[in-house]
Amino acid sequence: MNNRVLSLPFLVACAAAGIASQASAASFTGKVTLPDGRPAFGAMLSVFNADHTRKQTVYTAADGTYAIVTPYSGSLALRARLANYDDASTSVDAAADAVGQADLQLKAFADAQAASDALSASAHNAVLAWGRAGDRHDFVSQCNYCHQMGNATTRAPRSHEAWMATITKMEGYLAMVTKSEKIRIASVFEKGFDGQPVKATHDYGATAELARAKVEEWQVGDGFSFIHDMDVASDGKFYGTDEGHDKLWVLDPATAKVEGLDLPPSGLPRGGLFSGMHLAIGVFTGSHGPHSMAQTSDGRIWITNALSSTLMSFDPATKQFKTYAVPGDAMYPHTVRVDKDDIVWFTIVASNQMGRFDPKTGQMTVMRLPSNGFFRWISDMLFPTLMRISSWFPDKVLLLNFSHHRFLGYTVMAFPYGIDVNPKDGSIWYAKLYANRIGRIDPKTMAVTEYETPMSGPRRPRFDADGIFWIPSFDEGGLMRFDPATGKFDAYTVPGVAPGEYETPYALNVYRPTGDIWMAANNSDRVIRFTPATRTFQSYPSPTRVTVLRDFSFTKDGRVCTSQSNLPAYAIEGGVPSYLCIDPAGGERDRAALAAAASGG
Amino acid sequence: MSNSVISGARPAQVRVYSLLLVLSAIFMALLGWSAGAYYVPAMCLALLALLLWSGRGGAVFKWVLVANQVGGLVLILALWLGDRIGLGHAKLDVSGVALLLNLLCGGPLASVLGGLMLPGLRDGKRLFSWFNARPA
Repeated sequence: MNNRVLSLPFLVACAAAGIASQASAASFTGKVTLPDGRPAFGAMLSVFNADHTRKQTVYTAADGTYAIVTPYSGSLALRARLANYDDASTSVDAAADAVGQADLQLKAFADAQAASDALSASAHNAVLAWGRAGDRHDFVSQCNYCHQMGNATTRAPRSHEAWMATITKMEGYLAMVTKSEKIRIASVFEKGFDGQPVKATHDYGATAELARAKVEEWQVGDGFSFIHDMDVASDGKFYGTDEGHDKLWVLDPATAKVEGLDLPPSGLPRGGLFSGMHLAIGVFTGSHGPHSMAQTSDGRIWITNALSSTLMSFDPATKQFKTYAVPGDAMYPHTVRVDKDDIVWFTIVASNQMGRFDPKTGQMTVMRLPSNGFFRWISDMLFPTLMRISSWFPDKVLLLNFSHHRFLGYTVMAFPYGIDVNPKDGSIWYAKLYANRIGRIDPKTMAVTEYETPMSGPRRPRFDADGIFWIPSFDEGGLMRFDPATGKFDAYTVPGVAPGEYETPYALNVYRPTGDIWMAANNSDRVIRFTPATRTFQSYPSPTRVTVLRDFSFTKDGRVCTSQSNLPAYAIEGGVPSYLCIDPAGGERDRAALAAAASGG
Repeated sequence: MSNSVISGARPAQVRVYSLLLVLSAIFMALLGWSAGAYYVPAMCLALLALLLWSGRGGAVFKWVLVANQVGGLVLILALWLGDRIGLGHAKLDVSGVALLLNLLCGGPLASVLGGLMLPGLRDGKRLFSWFNARPA
């Protein structure tokens, strides 16, 4: 499969002493070199378990060396990967408590096509020639939020007619473009994705800090799963909402055991309230569409069900689900957070509303958010009705025949999207993705105050411990800092991996003990850490191609975790989504542990 | 009606409303190029313009406008009060039917123009007279 010629001799030496602290661990040390023999800095050395359902990765230091401790044994695969070079791989039968030596030499690509194929989507969509800046902006906004445009699945050459059909299908998934835009975008795709190799040199920013890190991945679900969000719960387990299959995937990282739990039936047809769209086709086989999660202090996990417009609780202790109707014409409950009083707050994107649920009293309140203009008011009023009309004719996507976004564009929607609770005063803050605003809700008076954002596409923001609101700008590849005390914004551009390439930061989270901001960089297969004190970005290249990430959460020991969420999942390298955790100091610990073992310490 | 003969020149009101109906039909047709459902009100508006211009089919003209107003009114009331009066999930069914009725009968521009024209269709008013002038 991924076995390639090992360029330097491979040796597995059973260490007599083993590693006392890593029982049953197959460990490896070695060096990764470039084709010319120089050390490969920042290369990813991945070890796959025997059935290729898990892998762990460390990054090489400036001298090309690495050290990795894994819990795996048996027939393992090792792979070295670095941007601009071809992978080097090998396999080895490794016994538990063994330390192997594996030196790998990266290869030059066999040809231009192979080099092009190894590039992230950012290189492939950078060559698209946009005649109008507005079209490019809308392409980023409307084509990149479910999946990369430019990966192997989405860059296949197509005729204009075929692209029109593809975009029509995407409109059925709620991509919102005008008809004239659609025609122009199809032309840009037809000319840009021509099958010819793309040239780019990518710089993922190898640093000593990167070489301290370690990544672990666990495959979860199947090729048709759509695990939108993954959260680390208080029991240390990872919970992922499979919006495609109406499942909750639970991973115990201690045992690597994965359990798939079916949500109770909704009583709605496939696609739920969105059955009139194409959502019922392909990966969307359920009717609840579990989307986002948050946990209350009693341990219950609260899930927004986007397609059935319900709120659902899951008790990890009893494994029982309970469904709560969201009243009114709420459409697409989205991101959910819990405040310090255990009140559950959630945005409702398609009807521009905010939900509030008190688990103690069972009281559910839905409030309408400011419409931000006449056409958005029309959307707020009529979108649920249009979706109901569409549902009378399943899969026919009648919405497209009625909705004014077809001639005015997606900005006719406000789309309250991400949400968080200000730790300083308990106020609720949200981001309106299409209206380019953030808003504050006073949890006592429910009074709303909104602010226009300096960058467009504010998506899933979070607060830091000091009450600073950090907001990713999806449409402009930026990061915004908002101080509620002063009402002042600062904006930063997320660096691309090559000139002319852009980034799509979908979500972020703040690790409050350090203040670091961890954010998705979904166009170039990486995670980015921003350190406010130094205003620096650190890239963590993903070991898996076609990495599209959404929410981030943290383990108690400081690992940052998320889920692979590209649509469709089968486009992700390996064909199956996974949970992914980055331990910023995990590689350093492995290096220290193996050094100590080697010295008999 | 087919034998009717229009006596006298068209009133200015008829000309103005006919023009507005035609312009509305063209506007709706342009929207229809992007969102096909708008061809329906476009055709209805064109039909209304034709009826008004020709002075024929006064009853049809009137009742289409009435149905349009009813559809629009029910739509607004259902969305506004539907939750409060306990329509529940039926609220969107009611608003959906009302919206379709409104669009079938000319859509929102016909609602606006209908609001202006319907008073003139009452007995003794100018538009009523225009439609009911002479049988030959």
